[in-house]
Amino acid sequence: MFNILEKHSPMMGMGGGGGGGGGTCYVYPDAPATPGEVTPDVTYNRGIYMNGSMTMDDGNSVTIWGFTDGGGGGMGGGGNQFPSPAMRVTEGQVVHTNLTVNGMMWLHTIHHHGIEPSTENDGVGHYSFDVDGTYTYQWKASHAGTYFYHCHTNTVLHAEMGMYGGLIIDPPEGPGTLHSGGPTYDVEAIWACDEIDSSWHNKNWDAGTCGGDEGFNSLNPDYFIITGVDGAQSALTNPGVAVTMNRGQKLLVRYICAGYLPQRINFGGLTATVHVSDGRVLPNPVQMTEIEASSAERYDCIFEPTEAGVYEVTCDFLDWVTGAVVGTARTRINVN
Amino acid sequence: MNKRMDRRNFLKFSSAGIASALLGSSGLLSWSPRAHAATISQTFYITEGFITQPDDVDVYFKGFSTDTNSLTVPGAQLIAQEGDTVKVTIVNTLGTSHSFKIDGVVDSGAIGGGQTKTVEFTVNNAGSYLYYDGLNAPYNRLVGLHGALAVMPSGSSNELYDGSPTFVQQYFWVINDIDPAWHDRIRRRRTPNTPFTPSYFTINGRSMRVPGHPDYANPAIDSGYALDTRLEGSIGDRTLVRILNAGQCMHSVHFHANHVEWLARNGQPRADVWKKDTVLLPNNIGSLDVIYPFEVPPDSWPPAPTGHYPMHFHDEMTQTAGGGLYQFGIATTIAFK
Repeated sequence: MFNILEKHSPMMGMGGGGGGGGGTCYVYPDAPATPGEVTPDVTYNRGIYMNGSMTMDDGNSVTIWGFTDGGGGGMGGGGNQFPSPAMRVTEGQVVHTNLTVNGMMWLHTIHHHGIEPSTENDGVGHYSFDVDGTYTYQWKASHAGTYFYHCHTNTVLHAEMGMYGGLIIDPPEGPGTLHSGGPTYDVEAIWACDEIDSSWHNKNWDAGTCGGDEGFNSLNPDYFIITGVDGAQSALTNPGVAVTMNRGQKLLVRYICAGYLPQRINFGGLTATVHVSDGRVLPNPVQMTEIEASSAERYDCIFEPTEAGVYEVTCDFLDWVTGAVVGTARTRINVN
Repeated sequence: MNKRMDRRNFLKFSSAGIASALLGSSGLLSWSPRAHAATISQTFYITEGFITQPDDVDVYFKGFSTDTNSLTVPGAQLIAQEGDTVKVTIVNTLGTSHSFKIDGVVDSGAIGGGQTKTVEFTVNNAGSYLYYDGLNAPYNRLVGLHGALAVMPSGSSNELYDGSPTFVQQYFWVINDIDPAWHDRIRRRRTPNTPFTPSYFTINGRSMRVPGHPDYANPAIDSGYALDTRLEGSIGDRTLVRILNAGQCMHSVHFHANHVEWLARNGQPRADVWKKDTVLLPNNIGSLDVIYPFEVPPDSWPPAPTGHYPMHFHDEMTQTAGGGLYQFGIATTIAFK
């Protein structure tokens, strides 16, 4: 049986240190050649930042890690975007995601969540490798829909720290059509709803990997955000999150449950027609006024509001034991 | 006093002890349909002891065990078909009262310390069921007294329910969340008095190990290799996975390499079968039934018919043990052979 693990030795006790047991355990540094590499239709270059920050509505700043739009081409000019810069490709394209990591300082991967490539290109450290140097993830975009990419090294920490970005596959018709034969849309929004436990945001990249109690079994969030914007106040009006549209237009909301806790998103009196979830067309579209979602699910929702108004969207974050609401992020759909 | 009631030393087990008691040579739930109903008999011994967790901490459990000298958590996987009679004998070796219950199907009532009771019941509806101790709820269930029963449609070997999408092999994944402080209170016959804060997360009683760990690839300990959790198949080996949540946390079940066909939630067939890479698992005896199709991973280029991938929960707290040790939680391997 094919077993890629036999080719690698884990890196143990790498030093570094920090809380808990200290050191680095159970990571698998490597950057092999990409099997069956071909000339891609589209290429993304991603580097790492671990010195970002997000200022919350209460004035506090929280450390954020993420991926830069870096490397060749110079497009986008680096910077520390949160969420990380989105990827947008067309169904049928072969994609290269070049990830460059300075393994002397830290290790990371990219897992394209919902994308289903070969083992080497799936970006899960203990099934293949944690990138040390530059690795080219090669995959083919087979199904239109909404995905996201995130780091899969010490994931419990790295995804919480913000190491994720949007990933959209358009059908051959291009943006404006959700999937071939499916609905069109005039206005588009991506809502990645996430919760932040700021007590986790001051740790080393390898925290807990050798053991020790880092508190990673218990997430107690104090901030609730939508697509990198504080959902306490800012997301109500931030033009990157809140939607402004006219009656007669069709809105596509790509909702990503980007946190760890269950969520319940309510559309403020509007009804969503969900056509696609997790990048797969539903046999029959379903109408929903609210959606209960678990970590990493995606729902592609079409809205066709007929009455002008301000519709307040609330995303409740639920305690995973009791189901009680532990926090809420808010935004708006403004219909003229 | 029955001498069983004042044992001075609890049994202590690594999860290796569990495996030998639980299964034979194959982890698959095997089944041959019959033309006529039959009686399925099973004896459980309620025992207690400690199970070593990935960070070497010993945590107290009780189980529906296969003999008096083992601790089986979860209890043995049972399978029957519609119309069958299931006859379960419970031998309570402990000093506390326990019960055997399946919601909507059977409830033994209290079985006192040192007592034995047999219950017989008919299973009439195909599906996936959790059997558990309904006393002292939810504590006795959480501390390990639970297991899985599959009821097949009458005469069928490849459906979840009559007319469902078909499969060629099937597995049970029984999920639990473990708060050692609660387990210790239960051991001391006290009621837990702290908020439920699980720090170990198990699938069929085990957690994941990874390369470099001494227990990596040990099927008795590593849930990535345990015969009853690891999905193995070749292209086309459509696999039914019956996921039962004995624990108190809602979870997010995430499959790599293939989307699953989502057939049922909490025992209710869904009107439409959706293809999903991630599904919400309800808590407190919630369930999901899904088919993992073992198709060539659709985004692989060049197409990759072999390989191996994780199934892991995406509420990433579940991927830890003792508050750290990422990768040592609820996960298993999906091997494309």
